[in-house]
Amino acid sequence: MSKTLFEKIWDSHIVVDEDGRSLLYVDRHLIHEVTSPQAFDGLRLNARKVRRPDLTFATMDHNVPTSDRSLPILDQTSSIQIKTLERNCKEFGITLFDIHSPNQGIVHVIGPELGITLPGTTIVCGDSHTSTHGAFGSLAFGIGTSDVEHVLATQCIMMEKPKTFEIKIQGKRKNPHAVTAKDIILSIIRKIGTAGGTGTVIEYRGETISELTMEQRMTICNMSIEAGARAGLIAPDEKTYQYLNGRKYVPKNYDECVNYWRENLKTDSGAKFDKSFTLSAENIVPQVSWGTNPAMTSDVTGIVPFPDEYGKGNPEEEKGATKALQYMDLKPGTPIMDIVIDRVFIGSCTNARLGDLIEAAKVVKGKKVSSRVRAMVVPGSQLVKKNAEEMGLDKIFKDAGFEWRESGCSMCLGMNPDILAAGERCASTSNRNFEGRQGTGGRTHLVSPVMAAAAAISGHFVDVRELDLN
Amino acid sequence: MKGSVIKYERDNIDTDVILPGPYLKIHDYVELAKHAMEGLDKDFHKRVKPGDFIVAGKNFGCGSSREHAPIALSYSGIKAVLALSFARIFYRNAVDGAFLLPIEIDESAYKDISDSDSLEVDISKNEIKNLTKNKIYKMKPFPELIGKIIEAGGLFNYKP
Repeated sequence: MSKTLFEKIWDSHIVVDEDGRSLLYVDRHLIHEVTSPQAFDGLRLNARKVRRPDLTFATMDHNVPTSDRSLPILDQTSSIQIKTLERNCKEFGITLFDIHSPNQGIVHVIGPELGITLPGTTIVCGDSHTSTHGAFGSLAFGIGTSDVEHVLATQCIMMEKPKTFEIKIQGKRKNPHAVTAKDIILSIIRKIGTAGGTGTVIEYRGETISELTMEQRMTICNMSIEAGARAGLIAPDEKTYQYLNGRKYVPKNYDECVNYWRENLKTDSGAKFDKSFTLSAENIVPQVSWGTNPAMTSDVTGIVPFPDEYGKGNPEEEKGATKALQYMDLKPGTPIMDIVIDRVFIGSCTNARLGDLIEAAKVVKGKKVSSRVRAMVVPGSQLVKKNAEEMGLDKIFKDAGFEWRESGCSMCLGMNPDILAAGERCASTSNRNFEGRQGTGGRTHLVSPVMAAAAAISGHFVDVRELDLN
Repeated sequence: MKGSVIKYERDNIDTDVILPGPYLKIHDYVELAKHAMEGLDKDFHKRVKPGDFIVAGKNFGCGSSREHAPIALSYSGIKAVLALSFARIFYRNAVDGAFLLPIEIDESAYKDISDSDSLEVDISKNEIKNLTKNKIYKMKPFPELIGKIIEAGGLFNYKP
């Protein structure tokens, strides 16, 4: 029988399958400081052990400061959470990449970087952006703390089988330096909506996806959760195997694995998806979000919409848009390129990998950040930072007036010292423009790294297709 | 379950407004509850009473996987959220930890229920009684497995 890639991975991980519930084996469990403390408390309370400490990896990313690492952490509650993770990892025998490790970074950046993320595996993490790892053909779910405890104790997760959703992206982008993976995924969410993928695992397919680098594929899969999907998947190919080859934690019999993956990890030609959506890449232009969820996005050449037009007769959508514009302090009809910004954040698990920084640096090189803007670059991991510094990217950013910081989640989520002040407007390469996400009263516009870099220089949004990025 | 309604006529109420990021460092659930819904409604914690229900639109709980969101609502006294639909991780967290019941209702019930209405929810009959308006609505029944986990009192108490 023909099967989709999702069905193949799912079926090969079933431990128990009865009464509408499946117990799936978990190949890799990634943990961080914020969603794990109560899970470890639960283990202790019930005198349980971590079943597979060798398959569990930890790092600290959400609330670590991105300033000088030799200084103590001033925020006491952050410091406690970080020390708690250290203690838990020691007690339960789990590998930890701590704040001083050369492998520290955002959990979804370091997983692939270290070869912990592998094709055909199941991965869970107490973080919704775990969908990122799907770029490697890995079935990766974001989970809450109760599930983290369950996986720590049993190395299994109980699930109802999700539906399958095919998203085909066809054709070639006219200017791939200006129209990025971020613009593709924002276009998809804009079309299918924030709940368009609810209850499904998305498989992204088509010519456009094949052409993307592994890092760009991660950007796409990362934001699957913003469409409500349980996970996002891309079938592995030669790029995937090349990317992982030689990384620290890949299996010793790597070539054998690659042969198996080549044979097994694709959707069969006759396989049926429960749902399908097709998008042409040819007409995608750089995207800028104007509202308070990632579907509220316009072309950079467009305007801030009028709520009634946005709602298309749906009063709830119209009301949502009105409230969003109120929060964002934007007037309908304003050209997107007239929106003036105060802050720029290049970072997060969506867009803080080396390729993102290389592309952004091309825009910045030899220019200065607008005097009205405070701009920062936060590499996704210490390894990204090191590689970028070896290429001299840090110097390009610093010479232009950007802050060049240590790795972490930083200003994506407002729980460490990097936050927006109330009323500040930010061009951000992160994934969520929810109210207060980057700091109470802060206003977020989601964009690609090149769009954020160009906005830093100009002080407002610009159409990066007009820049020479080659 | 009997209680009164706190209604938010909004879709996409995300976990960042249910429990904003800065409070994810708090481990004391009672303390956490003081910040529930703070991103959307600063007066929520003054208003909410034990047994209350939240009524909201589509895709409630979208965004982050933070279990702190259903925990904060639960420790505020919220027994169930009645919404047109839920984001899956929130739904799962609410059930797994037995923090609150995520109940799906239809458009007509959503429109009919007003803020401060008194409701009585009976999950054995899949019924919601509006005591203020003297009406009965149907709730969407829980899928079998979820019903069993709810009955057991959460994932860790559930024995297949």
